[in-house]
Amino acid sequence: MNHMSDTATTQPAAARSQPPLLEVRGLRTRFELPEGVVHAVDGVDLTVYPGQTLCVVGESGCGKSVTARSILQLVDPPGRITAGTVNFHVGPDHPLLTARHPSRRDQAAVRSARDGVLDLAALDPKGTAIRAIRGKEIAMIFQEPMVSLSPVHTIGHQIVEHIRTHEDVSKKEARDRAIEALRQVGIPQPERRVDSYTFHLSGGMRQRAMIALALACRPKLLIADEPTTALDVTTQAQILDLLQELREQYGMAMLFITHDLGVVAEIADAVAVMYLGLVVEECGVDELFHDPRHPYTKALLESVPVVGPRAKRRLATITGMVPHPYDRPTGCPFHTRCRDTMPGTCDTTVPPVLTTTEGRQRTVRCLLYESAEALHRGTVREEVSR
Amino acid sequence: MSEQAVDTEPLLAVRNLSMRFTVGRGFLGIAGRMTVDAVTGVDLDVREGETLGLVGESGCGKTTLGRCILRAYRPTAGELRYRRDDGTVVDLAQLNRAQLRPYRRQIRTVFQDPNSSLNPRMTLLQIVGEPLLANDLARGDELRDRVAEALRMVGLRPEYMHRYPHAFSGGERQRIGIARALITNPRLVIADEAVSALDVSIRSQILNLLEDLQEQLGLTYIFVSHDLAVIQHLCDRVAVMYLGRIVEQAPTEELFSRPRHPYTEALLSALPLPDPRLRSLKKRIPLRGEVPDPANQPAGCTFHPRCPYTRERCDTDEPALLPVTDTGHVPHLSRCHYADTLELEGVAARTLEPTSLRNAEKTSGAEEVR
Repeated sequence: MNHMSDTATTQPAAARSQPPLLEVRGLRTRFELPEGVVHAVDGVDLTVYPGQTLCVVGESGCGKSVTARSILQLVDPPGRITAGTVNFHVGPDHPLLTARHPSRRDQAAVRSARDGVLDLAALDPKGTAIRAIRGKEIAMIFQEPMVSLSPVHTIGHQIVEHIRTHEDVSKKEARDRAIEALRQVGIPQPERRVDSYTFHLSGGMRQRAMIALALACRPKLLIADEPTTALDVTTQAQILDLLQELREQYGMAMLFITHDLGVVAEIADAVAVMYLGLVVEECGVDELFHDPRHPYTKALLESVPVVGPRAKRRLATITGMVPHPYDRPTGCPFHTRCRDTMPGTCDTTVPPVLTTTEGRQRTVRCLLYESAEALHRGTVREEVSR
Repeated sequence: MSEQAVDTEPLLAVRNLSMRFTVGRGFLGIAGRMTVDAVTGVDLDVREGETLGLVGESGCGKTTLGRCILRAYRPTAGELRYRRDDGTVVDLAQLNRAQLRPYRRQIRTVFQDPNSSLNPRMTLLQIVGEPLLANDLARGDELRDRVAEALRMVGLRPEYMHRYPHAFSGGERQRIGIARALITNPRLVIADEAVSALDVSIRSQILNLLEDLQEQLGLTYIFVSHDLAVIQHLCDRVAVMYLGRIVEQAPTEELFSRPRHPYTEALLSALPLPDPRLRSLKKRIPLRGEVPDPANQPAGCTFHPRCPYTRERCDTDEPALLPVTDTGHVPHLSRCHYADTLELEGVAARTLEPTSLRNAEKTSGAEEVR
């Protein structure tokens, strides 16, 4: 594992000189239902640098999965992206930028692309442009491979189909690449396994097949939505190691969604903590675990049972529960459960994004900090500290 | 666990318990029958007032063992010696349905999924009160009072007793499940993955509730989980299961700091620790392959095909669950031929490396300032 931590420490420096691979700004996705409007994603900002892993953590219902799906425009109706940009660096001479797109929306989005940065949120969800991105430039793996893989096609068939959708290769060649992809994810006897169905495989092997499928076209970014949640600890460890290894090998970036802080500590370079459709804190992984600034992040870290000498201490709890999506609190979404809530302030104002740059950039949305400068020093407002 | 509890007769003594399922093979069972040994020869003592953890990966038989103790299944072999209130001992494994009735209210369970284990067409009063009606313990106003008391105990408002489960969140539903388990004043509660389906912030609330209730009511828990962090937090003693057998059993601190079975070591090393600075210190024990099919178990030590320390003897000789030497007054049992000679690494060794210790001091200092 030593080599991994080395790259983790050297990468931020390299990353700063590079432009971000993916930059999500002010993304809003809402679901208009007969009972009311659910603001699942309510102004999310995320930044993923090339070759880095950004973990998105949060409790169920905080909008982390919808954020991931919104990036690829995979939100099912009645869900709709209503605002925001998803700027993805495809490269200045990507064929996508010169290709002919039948959709007017695609044409407009491609025309306004600058320096090889394309706004995915502006693309037609059913157009040719986003389809050229999905699977090829940005791949996604899901929590339950049994649901997302076809039960009536062989693994090989699915990988071959995937490769031939994006690349002009013969069936024979695609099949060889499928076998190679299965070998790389550590499936034993890939020549035989390529013809097996998903129900022939165990849970861990299925997730490996899913990863092989996702990585067959060498994407620049892999979005992994809770890929290890359904697995046992030993299998989880194997899959995490595998993802790390492949990420380094291919120089790919990863957007990793999880609710498990242990997994975050294991693989993340940077972390974004989400609460009720909002990123409340985004920073480097060391800063998050050893110097959290947002009250929600602090509470979350304290409420996790930890293996080790401090295992027996009583757990801190976050009072109450996540508010119902139909009635979101006004102001800061966390103020109803926050220990340091300031009446009259937190319940009226939506906290602005405060940014400091030391090490990796840190952004926090909390009214306890009066300014970016105060956030940098870690000093909270006087009325709270007293 | 108090000191005198160690000396007294255990509340429940499981002896040589086995559970074998016969299942059909092939389409609609036309290819004959086969047997699956879900639990094989389990010996386990549960002492009054303690929390015993059962940990293992999926398919290791921990849930089946829990259900055998509940007598939801009739074990195919072995004894379940249960000590009654008056001190006499009864073997639950031999009792029939009618004879089991009085014990049904003394041994209760909390299920994993709070959504599917509550009937959506029953109100809280009906759900939580049903065990009282079924056992003929209370009716009418008394029933209502006892349900109200149980709800208050788990932190729910008694006014809610006429509502249906859909009106409650996941954490509250799990509280309802706990109230239902506790309403008959049980002695032993089997919590089968009771917090696994809950979110982090809710999980800590339920764990604290379980601890408080144990203190108030003097409960004994068997806590079945795959989550080692939760197990270490809650349990006094832990039994690790692999392929239907207990491979190691020890007091929690000892098991985590100095495991004596290679499987336990691998489990501990696979655990992601919530501290990014430990990444480089961590040595992971890679396990080869996967858990074998319980219907087709390997000869010798069942763990030998995946064990990194396997030797010739392991593929023919099945080891017994024996106490390891140089342990304290609470026995540390391991099912490994080389339990005494192997130098296995626990979690404490990893977290107490000098560099991480400094970090730990720094963070605890930061907490005090807050």
